[in-house]
Amino acid sequence: MANTLFYRAADLKEACVLLSQYGKKAKILAGGTDLMVAINRKLLLPEILVYIGNCGLDYIRVEGDSLIIGAMTNHASIVRSTLVKEKAPLLLEATKYIGSPSIRNMGTIGGNLVNASPAADAGTALLALGAKLNLVSVSGVRQVKVEEFFTGPGKTVLKPSEILQEVLIPSQNENSKWAWYKLGKRKSDICSVISVAISIEIEGNLCRFARIALGAVAPVPLLAKRAGSLLERQNIDKTLITKAAKAASEETTPIDDVRATAWYRRKVSETLVKRLLSQILE
Amino acid sequence: MDVLKLKVNGRNYEVETDPATTLLEVLRDKLFITGPKVGCNTGDCGACSVLLDGRLVKSCITNAFITDGCEVITVEGLAEPGELHPLQKAFYEHYAAQCGFCTPGMLMAAKALLDENPNPTREEIKEALAGNLCRCTGYVKIIEAIMAAAQELREKRSMIARKEVS
Repeated sequence: MANTLFYRAADLKEACVLLSQYGKKAKILAGGTDLMVAINRKLLLPEILVYIGNCGLDYIRVEGDSLIIGAMTNHASIVRSTLVKEKAPLLLEATKYIGSPSIRNMGTIGGNLVNASPAADAGTALLALGAKLNLVSVSGVRQVKVEEFFTGPGKTVLKPSEILQEVLIPSQNENSKWAWYKLGKRKSDICSVISVAISIEIEGNLCRFARIALGAVAPVPLLAKRAGSLLERQNIDKTLITKAAKAASEETTPIDDVRATAWYRRKVSETLVKRLLSQILE
Repeated sequence: MDVLKLKVNGRNYEVETDPATTLLEVLRDKLFITGPKVGCNTGDCGACSVLLDGRLVKSCITNAFITDGCEVITVEGLAEPGELHPLQKAFYEHYAAQCGFCTPGMLMAAKALLDENPNPTREEIKEALAGNLCRCTGYVKIIEAIMAAAQELREKRSMIARKEVS
């Protein structure tokens, strides 16, 4: 068995250089809560591990209109952060039940995104929040929207030479409302059967914009664009909520798996979107 | 093979190991510290739980090399040899173990909780044990044991505080 090489990158620049050198042979190691499972299951034996825990990517700060979270920030720090509570409570709520306490102590927001599980709770919440991601390589930084980041189960637009550096969440205003629901087979330590994240801006009953995201109902965390656009620039009432919920359900392309059937996921998508929108409007 | 430096239960170790191994493998197979158990090996069951620089982690999915220079506490390090930590005593007195396989992890999760929150509610205890699965006792006795240990630790602490004042 080949010996894995371990690099503890001293900074982001060194990590980028290592990736440009080794490309696909190298795997980025952050908290390891997904990567080490794959190694234990013998699904993967990386030739090179590049650990990015010493690259200064563990931060939560406000810059201009954005809340910025470094990729190495673990879920426990996000749940404890007063900045996240104030600026992106939807993300805080979604992060609360990622894994279990010990998983949240190690697992990172960057890992949750890059692992690209269709059920990723942070990914679903960030879709609704309209977050952007900074991807960095030796040739510089490029920015992508979260809805353009995921391309399939375990797949993203990240190139072998790129590292996810940070997450940028646009600031909310006094008309911003949100809702989150995670449906699992139990409350904690469980992968979502379905999760729904909604972020809308609403004045009185007039909806300025709406973003409805669903987890575990498609090959990627799904932004239900048609459902959102049905609400935008409209006065929201019960009839419209019912329509939007139906549209969201129609946008899903779920599968049967050990957690639930596709039929169930489609039904519950509609129910949950309807419930959460009604909650927001109350 | 690379060399990894670790402090476990107050003792310093240097271990030669492959970087694709886990902290649990190092503890059990290299250092013969077998309190942390191999359960699921996928981060679900919590039988391998240890404290890493004071934080509760699952050692089965913690890469060994990221713990270089860190301090690890396993169930063996909870109390001095020959003594029981108040949590261990409470687990014993409240019959909080049947087969005992989950117990080392339960104790470490409980220790992490009480270090941060000396006076937890039942609900907070449940949240803290969310990543530790027991398939024997059904948790009730475990929760009772942790409540009792928390009380004993609080009393001990206030006794020490009173002594310091007088």
